[in-house]
Formats: sequence, structure tokens, C-alpha cells
Amino acid sequence: MKILATVKKVVDVELNIHVKDGAIVEDGLQYVINAWDENAVEACIRLKENNNAETTLVSIGVEDNTDIIRKCYAMGIDNAIHINDPALADADSSVFAKVLQKVCENGNYDLVITGKQAQDTDSGQTGIMLAEALQVPCVSNVIALEVTDDQHVKVSRLGDAGTEIVELELPAVVTVSDSINEPRLPAMRGIMMAKKKKINVMDLQALGTSIDEIRGDSPKSEIIEFMKSETRKAGQKFEGDAAEITAKVVDLLANEAKVL
Amino acid sequence: MAKVLVIADIKLGVLKSSTAELLSKARAIGAETAVLAIGSDIESLIPDLVNAGSDTQYIADDPGLELFSAGPYASCVVDAANQFNANLIWFGFSESGKAAAPRVAAQLSAACATEITDVEIEGGKIKVTRPAIANKVMQKILVNTEQLVAVVRAGAFEAKEGIKGTQNIVKLAAPEPDLKAVIKELVSDASGEIDLADADVVISVGRGARDQAGVDLVKELASDLKAGFGSSRAMVDGGFMAHNKQVGQTGKIVAPTLYIAIGISGAIQHLAGMNGSKVILAVNKDPEAPIFNVADYGIVGDLFEVVPILREQIKKIKS
Ligand SMILES: Cc1cc2nc3c(=O)[nH]c(=O)nc-3n(C[C@H](O)[C@H](O)[C@H](O)COP(=O)(O)OP(=O)(O)OC[C@H]3O[C@@H](n4cnc5c(N)ncnc54)[C@H](O)[C@@H]3O)c2cc1C
Ligand SMILES: Nc1ncnc2c1ncn2[C@@H]1O[C@H](COP(=O)(O)O)[C@@H](O)[C@H]1O
Repeated sequence: MKILATVKKVVDVELNIHVKDGAIVEDGLQYVINAWDENAVEACIRLKENNNAETTLVSIGVEDNTDIIRKCYAMGIDNAIHINDPALADADSSVFAKVLQKVCENGNYDLVITGKQAQDTDSGQTGIMLAEALQVPCVSNVIALEVTDDQHVKVSRLGDAGTEIVELELPAVVTVSDSINEPRLPAMRGIMMAKKKKINVMDLQALGTSIDEIRGDSPKSEIIEFMKSETRKAGQKFEGDAAEITAKVVDLLANEAKVL
Repeated sequence: MAKVLVIADIKLGVLKSSTAELLSKARAIGAETAVLAIGSDIESLIPDLVNAGSDTQYIADDPGLELFSAGPYASCVVDAANQFNANLIWFGFSESGKAAAPRVAAQLSAACATEITDVEIEGGKIKVTRPAIANKVMQKILVNTEQLVAVVRAGAFEAKEGIKGTQNIVKLAAPEPDLKAVIKELVSDASGEIDLADADVVISVGRGARDQAGVDLVKELASDLKAGFGSSRAMVDGGFMAHNKQVGQTGKIVAPTLYIAIGISGAIQHLAGMNGSKVILAVNKDPEAPIFNVADYGIVGDLFEVVPILREQIKKIKS
């Protein structure tokens, strides 16, 4: 069984992010592996351990992705592909999905595991659009995954009315929630080995395609402006005698905010 | 004129408030409106669909649609979008909407945007606003295609009272089942508890509550207030709360009138799920907890001491 995990390098959301003149201020930003993709990588490695799967990761991005790829190698991923092409600098989910489609067509993976969402876009589209492009089944927001036989996996998905248990015929795409697992910390041995492993870096041409084939002549949509988010202001905070301040706050909720 | 197709948000046979909110917004931008209801045995919802403000009602009613399956669900949407000639296709914020929207967009070769908070149409061009990077920034997006498929963020649009649509029913053919993604079972969470997504008051419990006894204590406050009872991820990971009770980026996004966070530090992933609430009250023993940066009212104190007093005081004021 061949499995592909998709891994994006994203801005570290724990740090402050500033916006100036409609753009994000690059100064001081740091980039990390997308949190949900760590869950995808962990899910892959568990399938390697339990089902003898061969694991590959692919990361698309115009920056140096060596650090996050090494981290995934250290966790236990077998192979890594980095698609790096300047034409992809402003790509969105629909474009990444088409690039991933090419990667999948070249690699014949039985199962693709993506994160449910990238922390920089918060869009949650790429994996689902990839499945559409490949014309294979897909379940998103997966919280449990199990191989039933050579041709099937059984997944649990957190849906609106409860947990949906779905049997998927392979090849398939799943997008995973962080509830699926706890990503492991790489062991020292893994970190040492990771340094020696090769990364297969390719541009679109090497992948057998071009930006025109991937995207057409214009993107479906484009970000024209970044704005500050409307941050809430800190309100009234009370310290002191619990009985007194709690009574005060209940009074404010009822008579000032009028929400009780 | 813009044409908006709203996908009705139906849960356990009930039409959710987001449907009227989205239709109100559609009318506010001067669009022609249609609604699509997908499910099994849903004819009885037709009056509600009209009252929510739709002028055409597409109905996909089939026993095969009882359980959610993204493939057939998306097929119904594409069918209705084509028949109505919709240029805006809107889902309310739901897991089914999030799963279906990218499929529909791919099938229509349309642009797709999730969690939108605003829409403008200027000289025939669609522009939408949405948060990104865990709500740390907002983006304005220009749509280059004629159609946009979007998921609207919870609480983004308001329902206007007194808007009624007209009845014009179009029945859709049943879609093909997805034989490659077969739903085996739905482990329902219809526990009779108040649905977080549309509760007027939501109370969430965090790691500060420590254990089951702490969770139960906070739960009593929630029952007093007939509030939805949610949780941070820490208490879900700890096994004290069910997955579907998690509020935040991975869990539910809620926008109630009053949100009460008890023993929750206020990690950005949690804030991203509740900072659209009208009023926020936080109880936390650490005066520096980040939750206080977004709370309208903050009580610095030990929840085990504060929660019983809160219950008492609220009972007093309500009687
Ligand atoms: C990809 C990703 C997705 C995530 N998605 C979510 C999500 O959807 N929802 C979510 O909630 N989290 C999510 N998280 C986790 C998030 O980052 C935090 O770890 C989590 O929200 C912390 O939960 P908490 O506030 O309950 O716990 P903690 O951060 O441990 O905070 C506990 C708080 O309780 C206070 N406290 C302790 N004892 C008392 C007492 N006796 N009385 C009063 N206060 C007390 C402490 O001062 C502290 O502020 C996500 C993380 C990642 C990486
Ligand atoms: N540039 C990329 N490289 C690799 N994987 C990606 C990339 N963009 C998106 N993905 C995958 O698709 C998921 C969803 O991304 P998004 O649609 O942007 O929310 C992510 O969690 C990744 O697993």
C-alpha cells in the first residue's frame, strides 16, 4: 500500500501578525509545519507500522521546506517530494489541488491524507478538490482511520448529526482533524537519520505540467487586500472577594449588557 | 441581477436559523433568492423555507438522502445551481457545507471561499471578506469566475424579521448514491442536549475544571441557564467531554448572545471558535489569562468557588 501525506509550511499562528497597507508584514514571521498536516503525517506512519504501508510526503511551496521535511523524515516518513516553482507563489487551494493531482498521477498512491485545513488559509478545500480532480472518493474531517482490506479503509468523520462511519474504496483521499491522533515527537535516532535522507525537489516542468495547464490564464479568485481583524477589546475585569465580584458581574450582565 | 442559492441547514428535521440569515443577506444585496433543501421526508419544512425568505424552493427529498454523504449532497447542489442559474451558492456554517462546497466548486469550475463574513457585488464583480490565519487577519477576495460557492461563517449575517418569500416548488431527481464511500453507521449525538450551534447562551468548560466533578459543576450552571454546554479541546482530549462539544477551530464555531468561558485560557484556536459572540464572560484564576483580552466581563477567581456563587446570583436575579 502506498500512502501520500500532504504537508504545507505555514506562518506560525502563535506569533503576532501585523497588517500594513493591505499586506501582511513579513518581518518577524516564522514558518512551521501546518498543525493538521502533522496529524496527517502521524496517520501515515501508523499505517506504515501497522499495515506495512510505504509513506511519501509532498510539500508545495516556493520557500525552503527542508526543515519541515526533515522533521517528517525524523518522525518516520520514507520519501519526500518538494514541488518548488515561482509560478506557484500566489497559489490557492484549487491550484494546489491540481498540482497534487499531478503528483498523485505520477505516484499511484492508494490513499492520500491531507490536513483538514491549512493554518494560513483556513480554507479546508485542497484535499476535497484533489479528490474531485482524481475522481476518487473522499471523506473530510476524519477522526479515526483503519485499513479493512487491500481495497478499503474505514473512517470516522465528525459530522453535523454525529459521528459518521464510512467505508471508502481505495484509491481515496481523506482530510484529517487533529482529533485523529497525537503526533509523535521524533526520536534522536530519527533526527540523525533524517539528515542523510534525500528530498526530491521538482518544478512544474519536472512534474510534467505548467502553470497554464494547472490554472488557466487567470486564478479563479485572488486576495486583493489583507485587513486587520476586528479584535475585541478587553472589557471589565474584576478581582477580589469572589462573592462580591461575582454579584457585581451578574448585575452587569443583567442590567448593562442585558443578556440574562 | 445576482441569483443566490442558499442550501438549507437542516438538522434532525428542523430548519436552522442560518437559512433565514443567508436569505436575508441575499435580499439585502438585491438578489433573487432560492433555497435548496436536501434530506428525507422534508416536505413538511416547505412553509419554513418560504417563511425564511426564499422565492423558489428546490426540494431533494429521498430516503437515500437521510444520512449525509458528501457526493450525493453535492450532486443535488450542482443540479439546483444549474437549474436556477445561480451565481452565488451559499452554505450555512456546518460540517456538511464545509464538505460539499469544494466539491460543488470543483464540479462547476467556480471559485470557492469558506467562512465568508461579507459579500459585495460591484460592477458585476463579486468580492468577499473572510478571516484567515486563525482569525488574526481578514482577507478581501476578488472573484474572477461568474460563480462563487461559499460557506458563510456562523453569525456573520443577521436574519431580518418579517421577510417572507413566495412558494414555488421545484422537485429534484434523487442523486446516485456514492458506492465508493458508503456510510455504514451514524453514531448520533442527538442526546436531547441543546445544540451548541444555535443556543442563545453557550457555557464552555476548560482544563481549569480538572476532572469530572469540575465538569459536572459547570454543567449545572449550563442547565440553570438552558445553555449549550461546550468545552475546550483540553477537556475533550482528557476524555471528559465528547468531540462534538469542542468549541474552536477544530470544533464548533459559535456566536451566541452570551458566551461563558470557565477555566479556559483562551488559546487562539479556541478564540477562533467563539470570538463572534455578542457578550463574553470569562472566569479564570489567572489574571493574565489571554481569555481576558477578549472578554467583556472577567471574574478573576477559582471556578470552584465562583461557579456556585454565579448559580446562586443568577437564580436570584431571574426570580
Ligand atoms: C491545530 C490545532 C487545533 C486546535 N483546535 C482547538 C479547538 O477547536 N478548540 C480548543 O479549545 N482548542 C483547540 N486547540 C488547542 C488549544 O491550542 C489549547 O491547547 C486549548 O484550547 C487549551 O484548553 P484550555 O484553555 O482548557 O486549557 P489550558 O490552556 O490548560 O488552560 C486552563 C486554564 O484554566 C485556568 N485555571 C486553572 N485552574 C483554575 C481554577 N481552579 N479556577 C479558574 N481557572 C482555573 C488556568 O489559569 C488556565 O488559564 C487546537 C490546537 C491546535 C494546534
Ligand atoms: N502548498 C501545499 N503543499 C502541500 N500540501 C498542501 C498545500 N496546500 C494545502 N495543502 C494540503 O491541503 C490541506 C488543506 O489546505 P487548505 O485548503 O489551504 O485549507 C492542508 O492541510 C495540506 O495538507
